[in-house]
Amino acid sequence: MEELLGGLTPLLASMVRNATPLVFAALGGMFSERSGVVNIGLEGLMLISAFAGVAGAFYSGSAWVGLLCALGAGLAFALIHALMSITFEADQIISGTAINLLALGGTGFLMELVFDQSGTSPRVQGFEPVAIPLLSEIPVVGPAFFDQSLLVYLMYAMVPLTYLLVFRTPFGLRLRGTGEAPEAVDTAGVSVTRMRYYGVALSGLLAALGGVYLSMGILSAFTEGMTNGRGFIALAALIFGRWNPIGAAGAALLFGLAQAFIFQAPQEVVPLEFLQMIPYVLTIVVLAGFGGRAVAPAAIGKPYRKE
Amino acid sequence: MSAGLRVVLGRATGALVFPLVAISLALVVGAVIVLTTGNNPLAAYRALIVGAVGSPAAIGRTLLNATPLIFTGLAVAVAFRTGLFNIGGEGQLYIGAITAAILGVSLGFLGPLAIPVVLLACFLTGFLWGAIPGLLKARFGAHEVITTIMLNFVAINLATYLALKPFRTEGLVPGTDFIDPAARLPTLGLGRANYGLLIALLAAVAVYLLLWRTTLGFRLRAVGLSPGAANYAGMSIGASTVLALAIGGAMAGLGGGVEVMGVYGKMSIPFVSNLGFNGIGVALLGRNHPAGVVLGALLFGGLASGAQELQFETDVPLDLADVLLAIILLLVTATRLVELIFGKRARELASGTRLDEGLAS
Repeated sequence: MEELLGGLTPLLASMVRNATPLVFAALGGMFSERSGVVNIGLEGLMLISAFAGVAGAFYSGSAWVGLLCALGAGLAFALIHALMSITFEADQIISGTAINLLALGGTGFLMELVFDQSGTSPRVQGFEPVAIPLLSEIPVVGPAFFDQSLLVYLMYAMVPLTYLLVFRTPFGLRLRGTGEAPEAVDTAGVSVTRMRYYGVALSGLLAALGGVYLSMGILSAFTEGMTNGRGFIALAALIFGRWNPIGAAGAALLFGLAQAFIFQAPQEVVPLEFLQMIPYVLTIVVLAGFGGRAVAPAAIGKPYRKE
Repeated sequence: MSAGLRVVLGRATGALVFPLVAISLALVVGAVIVLTTGNNPLAAYRALIVGAVGSPAAIGRTLLNATPLIFTGLAVAVAFRTGLFNIGGEGQLYIGAITAAILGVSLGFLGPLAIPVVLLACFLTGFLWGAIPGLLKARFGAHEVITTIMLNFVAINLATYLALKPFRTEGLVPGTDFIDPAARLPTLGLGRANYGLLIALLAAVAVYLLLWRTTLGFRLRAVGLSPGAANYAGMSIGASTVLALAIGGAMAGLGGGVEVMGVYGKMSIPFVSNLGFNGIGVALLGRNHPAGVVLGALLFGGLASGAQELQFETDVPLDLADVLLAIILLLVTATRLVELIFGKRARELASGTRLDEGLAS
């Protein structure tokens, strides 16, 4: 029993570390999609922010400046997506795909310019784990949940905060309305365009937190392509969680746990590649299971033009 | 001018306006980016052009790059014409590539038949893999954008597993063994370009004939244009969905096979990436028409080829090509932007680049 519990702590700690970027990005995706804008660019938003964080910390020597740079980059790229898909009425899927490509090519380009090398950046000042007194001393779960980077604690706070914001405030009501029935929101005198910009901008900021956690909460360096599909898993978590913050966070934790198992499971039993398929297969199965019962916001993917 | 000619010219202009605006704006943004690196944009673009078409070797490299993109572009275009968005070209390409890598090793005894047999196998595995999101949509209503994205990761992991575990060979580079010379596609005598290009062009013609010269193609397009009307006319939306995504998968599967048979001779891990995603850009730039797809693939292939020269001549990183592609992709469906530049009439020309009607269904 003692041995089992001893193995549980690193597993749970690994789950939290894996889930954190997914939770941030999924919450971000929720804001965008609740406003009616599909955001398959989460992957790119995370990647560019992960880079900007490291570049900022590299020049300033401060992790906090890095964090600000990451938020700025996430916001800037999200605004490109917003400008293209909301104002210029480009297809949202295409715009999101372009954001992903832009981030991948852009970070490769900037690696050469900023660090004069490709592959992996030099190490920078990141966010070290901070143990919370008392809470981190709880047996088994304490060290797993409460001896983490500050960004993880921010993630804990974000889940209920986004829930309250989306379901308990006038802003949330308008945001949801914009995704479900933009005409009605428009008629009520609220600008659909503005609400959608807010939604996409928030998705950029949250995805940035996810990205910067990868490069500065786990690694303290940037590696090209380091998001490695996490933006898409976050999208899966969002669908899994039915566009609800609590649900999305729960799904992200589940995927995080699956990834934690991947690193601990003996590979002779199940090959790594099959374990890595789990979140994707799970998403497909759930999507097929829920079937035609549309849970996505009704107006998602459609540009809105005031007549 | 005859009315017919005017219609044709009008349509040709319409087909060119969006891509040309997107490309021009991307070049302007690219020039600004080059300026920030302290290089001369004109010199950079000159190097880009020289690297793309400046010598037989450069042209061969451009054609070599364009070949898989024609296939993945067709994979997107066929689905799009049926109102579906196939974002799974990447995974479908991997499935075709691993098929060719596994079968190509041992089918040498077939002699000259080895090439068509391996190609057929790639077509079939790609077809079946592409059919999965089609079935999931037709049967359960699972949205193909999400399922094809997820299936990309499943396919990449599956192909990686096969190449690294059961079919791995001893050697410095992890991956499968080299395929039999009988299954290799010969070169065309222009740089490293190979017969895969001709197969790609044949595939483009076949897709054109299928979509615009057969009843089946008419049905696929009818479902894409108006699912409701097509259904009312007795056409099965479900069957069209499965078939369109499966044919798309077959195209990308062929693309993967041709990469293995014509370029690498084996499947190493990591394998070439982003060909599937760039196919989306190729298809959009080509307005989802096979002829446009070929042109789009040549442009993308030339950009990638020119970028090598660019990096050699100046100190602008190779990745500028990807950045330019991304900007083109960002702009190519921006309806309102073109409308702002060319006025309202341009909006009518945009029909054929919009996806949201199909996606909403």
